[in-house]
Amino acid sequence: MKDLINTLGLCSRILVLFFLPLVGFHSSFGQELNPLEGDPRAARVGGSIFRAQCATCHGADAMGIDSIDAPDLTQIFTRPGSSEQDVFQTIREGIPGSIMPPHAFPEAEIWMLVSYLRSVGVSGFTGQIQGDPDRGMFLFSENCETCHRMNGQGGSLGPNLSMIAAVRSEDAIINSIRDPSAIIGRQYKPVSVLAEGNVRFRGIIKSEDAFSIQVLGTNQVLRGFRKSTLQELVYEDQSVMTTFNESALNGRDLTDILSYLQSNL
Amino acid sequence: MMKQIKKRATLLLSLFCFFSANLSAQSGDGPTYEDILDGFNDPSRWLTYSGDYSGRRHSPLTQITPENADQLRSIWTFQSGTTTRGRGWETTPLLDDGVLYVTGSNNYAWAIDARTGRAFWEYRRNLPDDLTYGASAPVNRGFGMLGNQLFMVTLDAHLLSFDRRTGEVLWERELADYRVGYSATAAPLILDNKVIVGISGGEYQTRGFIDAFDPVSGERIWRFNTIPGPGEPGSESWPNDPQVLAQGGGGTWMNGSFDPDLNLIYWGVGNPNPDYYDETRPGDNLYTDSLVALDANTGELRWHYQFTPHDVNDWDSNHMPVLANIEWQGDQRRVVMVGNRNGFFYVLDRVTGEFLLGEPFTATTWAREIGEDGRPVVLNDGSLGCLPDPWGSTNFYPPTFVPGLDLFILTARETCATYVPEEPANTPGQSNFGGTVFIDSESGYGALRALDIHTGALEWEFRYPSPTFGGVMSTAAGLVFAGDHEGNFMAFDAESGENVWHYQTGSRIWGAAAITYMLDGLQYVMIPSGTTLTAFALRSP
Repeated sequence: MKDLINTLGLCSRILVLFFLPLVGFHSSFGQELNPLEGDPRAARVGGSIFRAQCATCHGADAMGIDSIDAPDLTQIFTRPGSSEQDVFQTIREGIPGSIMPPHAFPEAEIWMLVSYLRSVGVSGFTGQIQGDPDRGMFLFSENCETCHRMNGQGGSLGPNLSMIAAVRSEDAIINSIRDPSAIIGRQYKPVSVLAEGNVRFRGIIKSEDAFSIQVLGTNQVLRGFRKSTLQELVYEDQSVMTTFNESALNGRDLTDILSYLQSNL
Repeated sequence: MMKQIKKRATLLLSLFCFFSANLSAQSGDGPTYEDILDGFNDPSRWLTYSGDYSGRRHSPLTQITPENADQLRSIWTFQSGTTTRGRGWETTPLLDDGVLYVTGSNNYAWAIDARTGRAFWEYRRNLPDDLTYGASAPVNRGFGMLGNQLFMVTLDAHLLSFDRRTGEVLWERELADYRVGYSATAAPLILDNKVIVGISGGEYQTRGFIDAFDPVSGERIWRFNTIPGPGEPGSESWPNDPQVLAQGGGGTWMNGSFDPDLNLIYWGVGNPNPDYYDETRPGDNLYTDSLVALDANTGELRWHYQFTPHDVNDWDSNHMPVLANIEWQGDQRRVVMVGNRNGFFYVLDRVTGEFLLGEPFTATTWAREIGEDGRPVVLNDGSLGCLPDPWGSTNFYPPTFVPGLDLFILTARETCATYVPEEPANTPGQSNFGGTVFIDSESGYGALRALDIHTGALEWEFRYPSPTFGGVMSTAAGLVFAGDHEGNFMAFDAESGENVWHYQTGSRIWGAAAITYMLDGLQYVMIPSGTTLTAFALRSP
């Protein structure tokens, strides 16, 4: 294992050396576009730099570490207005008042890091969905809208899906619909409490400490509880989202819903 | 007539001198070394990081008890206006004559009226734009105080002396070149005419040290290098390569404790550099991840004990060494206790360094046990997955020792991480972790744990939802004060572990532990959290 890692490390340094003459042709790296865009070698070397310099805080998978407020960098290009130039500047200058320091890397290496983050960034649909977006919109309003928002309309229990086709693959969305409990996101962990007066409240955990828990109920009402007042507190493993099997939404239905989600971009 | 005037002038002068002298006596010349030695005997003071030299953080105060702690209320809150997103306000305030002396993140500092929470003065250091390690951990853990002088280390690796009445800098000395990767964050330890400081930057091409300075002249008295030079004792635990030794790491970024009878300083040493990649540094890599006992006069090494030989997990041993005189298997022993980042609780003889006990306090799979020779019986070097993460089973935040109960109480972190080493680039001014770590973010949790010091057995625990970085303090009333990652400042019954009070501060309590003191007949408890410093008492003054 270590031999392989050594080889990778050696390769990455060779690739950096290989790149430097190439990037020298560019008049300036202080530009808005990544001069290494589209070159898979840049992302590969950037990955090596990332693991050596960034992974301790942002995680080896670049998905962030909550306990130190290090954000999920696979989502960095999904933020409205987020550009490669912004990411370049953040790496170079750091974030004052945080533990994100400035980095005095050569500009070429910063662009390689940007290329790497672009390569591991969440990606959306891979192709044009051949479905009926109007029928998809109808099915969405019938089955999904109670909990999910699209274009400012709909419920708030589940994630806003307005831009979902840009950040999740078709397969990921289909898997979530068919088996919502397989992977439950951090902000959607299900819980059930029995509060004073035998009142049952089920929902998703928005926040929790040793003495209290903050829940968004399946009725889409926020409720906070002191744990000492609860008769029962159950951390569930079944998502609050309904499972839609073939009889509830067939293959064509899903294609049309995906088509509607894509048409919204 | 002339005689009368002269007589009156003499009287006036005498009165002036009397009042001046009296004023001087009231305002004082600040604490002496003897005052710091006196520790908790004067409860209106908190003169050194742990309250006294023992590192026990155990106050004799008893006004607040397990029975009345639920009456605690906030009296005032001070807002720092500066923050360290991702870490916390890690300082321990010092208190003398009704004034708190407090350091903050980004090298801010204040003198604060302990009665009202209002600042007398604020200091802010102009830091260079190209900070190295100091930019990634812009924290500070507190002042040292002697007479009217305060001492603080900086993120660009300097030691400053202040006039405590004005915040004016009296002198400043460079500890090391920050551009290489050095920084400084620990509270100085003040001895008799010595200011002892440590250094940060073990992830860079640095060589750790502990320095002693003259408080008046600012001249350096001695330096102990935590990584030996070529041919020096300990160098046999490294490859015969001066460059490797010169960059061996071994930061000293948490201050230590002191035994005045033995005249020994006890100080923890950090990780070897690079952290995870070890092909360039075969051997035990002394004195990384060790506790060193140094002669306070000369800085000479008396003994050392290495907790994690040849560390590949970034398990710095920068912990507060806790000193106690206890009965040990029928004999009286002077011991030092450490809850270590590697997941083991240790008891050592502090006269000789003899290993007495090493027992796990978390579910670590790293070692089965510590052998009779004091070395760990390593089961999992990291290749088998799921070890304590790089922040460890505990960290630098202070534990406490409760003498009557013989309990060592610390904040434990249960985490699961897999380490993948990779050869680093080794560039000056850039961090050198040498690999990556995969952390299972779903499975971790924290806990306040009370250990029997004779066996290491878990007597009680209180669990937190996430791995926690809060420190611990105890009092003779049988109370333990602790903070957690969710922002709760809490009081527990030391004997049973029952939670008797909590207060949501609004930000994680990270790296800090409480202090307590008497002021105008009231016992206060104080904790920094986020940007706030809050004083609590049983009633308003």
